[in-house]
Amino acid sequence: MASAGVLGVALTACGAGDTTANKDTKRIGVTVYDMSSFITAGKEGMEAYAKDNNIELVWNSANLDVSTQASQIDSMVNQGVDAIIVVPIQADSLGPQVASAKAKGIPLVAVNAALNNPDVAASVQPDDVAAGEQEMQMMADRLQGKGNIVILQGPLGQSGELDRTKGINNVLAKYPDIKVLAKDTANWKRDEAVNKMKNWISGFGPQINAVVSENDDMGLGALQALKESGRTDVPIVGIDGIEDGLNAVKSGEFIGTSLQNGTVELSAGLAVANSLAKKEQVDTKPVYIMPAITKTNVDVAIQHVVTDRKKFLEGLSELTAQNLKTGDIAYEGIPGQKQP
Amino acid sequence: MTTDVDGSAQPPGPSAAPTVASPTTGEPVKLFSRQWFSGLLLRYSMVIVVLLVIAYFSYRSARFSTPDNLITILVAAAPFALIALGQTLVILTGGIDLSVGSVIAVSAMSAAATAKANPGQVYLTVLVAVLVGLAVGCVNGFLVSRINVPPFIATLGTLTAGSGLAYVIGGGAPINGLPAEFGSIANTKILGLQIPVLLMIVGIIALAIIMKRTTYGMRVYAVGGNRNAAEIAGINAKNVLFSVYAISGLLAGLSGVMLASRVISGPPNLGQGYELDAIAAVVIGGASLMGGRGSIWGTALGLFMIMTLNNGLDILVVPAYWQDVIKGVLIVAAVAVDVWSSRRRT
Repeated sequence: MASAGVLGVALTACGAGDTTANKDTKRIGVTVYDMSSFITAGKEGMEAYAKDNNIELVWNSANLDVSTQASQIDSMVNQGVDAIIVVPIQADSLGPQVASAKAKGIPLVAVNAALNNPDVAASVQPDDVAAGEQEMQMMADRLQGKGNIVILQGPLGQSGELDRTKGINNVLAKYPDIKVLAKDTANWKRDEAVNKMKNWISGFGPQINAVVSENDDMGLGALQALKESGRTDVPIVGIDGIEDGLNAVKSGEFIGTSLQNGTVELSAGLAVANSLAKKEQVDTKPVYIMPAITKTNVDVAIQHVVTDRKKFLEGLSELTAQNLKTGDIAYEGIPGQKQP
Repeated sequence: MTTDVDGSAQPPGPSAAPTVASPTTGEPVKLFSRQWFSGLLLRYSMVIVVLLVIAYFSYRSARFSTPDNLITILVAAAPFALIALGQTLVILTGGIDLSVGSVIAVSAMSAAATAKANPGQVYLTVLVAVLVGLAVGCVNGFLVSRINVPPFIATLGTLTAGSGLAYVIGGGAPINGLPAEFGSIANTKILGLQIPVLLMIVGIIALAIIMKRTTYGMRVYAVGGNRNAAEIAGINAKNVLFSVYAISGLLAGLSGVMLASRVISGPPNLGQGYELDAIAAVVIGGASLMGGRGSIWGTALGLFMIMTLNNGLDILVVPAYWQDVIKGVLIVAAVAVDVWSSRRRT
């Protein structure tokens, strides 16, 4: 009896916390593959946009497990959220979940990584193929078309890895004198990349002329491995533009990276999901084109991502709304980006 | 129940080879006879496999068998060695510690947070990591020894809670932008070897001595072999059980700060899945999951085999998924041979 009473009080207390929510608040569920550096940075952008636009976010991380992600979506559909945002683990997954969301009229938006499914309501994707091409071109230019490289890939089968590898191969086809000594996955992780790179250094030694890494974290792991082996002359290129990666570009340890500003990209995804939840007209396939970051423009990127981050986040909702109209969802004023 | 090969007591006949005790069954067999060889093969099967693996990689790549590559293998092995040592003690008591992966993450995150808030205080970050690991180990030990929760369940619980806790510490994010001195923990060399490698070597030797030559070691084996008999003989099994989980947690905490220091960052998913490598090393090394059988040197051998495989397969550019297949097959084969040979022994 007493415990039932306590439970009752607790439940009403929980309900009482909902006074800020009103009928116009949209409840949007989010499930991400893992809390990587990129996703965690992007979360802040989504939260900034959500605050300014009367959205309640329900966050879930699937810990790189596909069945966990499926359950999270099932749960969100059952709760009757207004929209669902998915950053999927595998491109070919979640078929039943997408179908059930569609059947219930809940717009499901794939953001940052793609789902091979025509029934998603919208897909806000970075052009990973272009990013792969961009980084490989940067390295090809640096090597002047000749040399031996090793490639660190993302988790095999994830759309990010599939597309970036495709882009890298597209550019490699134009440079027959660039040889790939080895390529394998380090699962986006720094500690895996250190060991893989050290083993490759053991195997290939001075033959390695450059490292092409499909994300900054793995590139930083490779950097550590090279430092341990006393090699400071090996150029490294990455993708993402995380804080440590941008600092590496500034110090010259990376020759460059491609900025995927999580705050900008994920908030664009949220904006699209919100528009669909409000039944507004919106471009359902905007593409995020990553600006190239080199020593010449890295300072502006560092400002937006690290040093002046708070100021940047304050202006983010307005920037996102503007970008949604122009269609260039990656624009944030980095030198080199085209003014819309 | 093992005997060393030694000379026979009876003087050899004019044309007979000396008789020795079989390395596996202990029965008298003729030296260099077929039974003697097969006994030797079975008993030292794991050593032979490791030697074959090394021979194969050396043949395929001249760069494999160089001192630099050996250091590369040892440096990669060090954090795994620490958790494998702790896992050996736990498995010897018939238990298992599934939580070490999460302990690595939580201690790494704690160390990273400490490093960011107190730049320059390197010793403090190590202390924090070790204490965090010890704390989780004590929770495990308490659950198993006092509350009698089966070790699989107890450590599964701390594994799950710990992995979430690692995210809580970072606010959902990895802790990056760490001071450069944080890297000195893993990268400083003493006597030409990195600190983690020294810790690994010291740890293996120290624990090997403790397990074989001290009463504490004897108690661990006794509790694992037959807990009731051990208690009747006057051993406080509860304290022994508590201690092995505490030690496992402490070593995992140390491993966590070493790993984070090497990459100068605090990822909340650090160490995910490492418990399986630790358990594999212990099992390949000849330990029984029922407890009471196994050794530190066996674990060291098992770990060395896994690390050598990782290294050699990368040098030969075998894709990561094939590496998993090969390792899995080898683990099963190793255990199967061990079980089969021990059946022939008794």
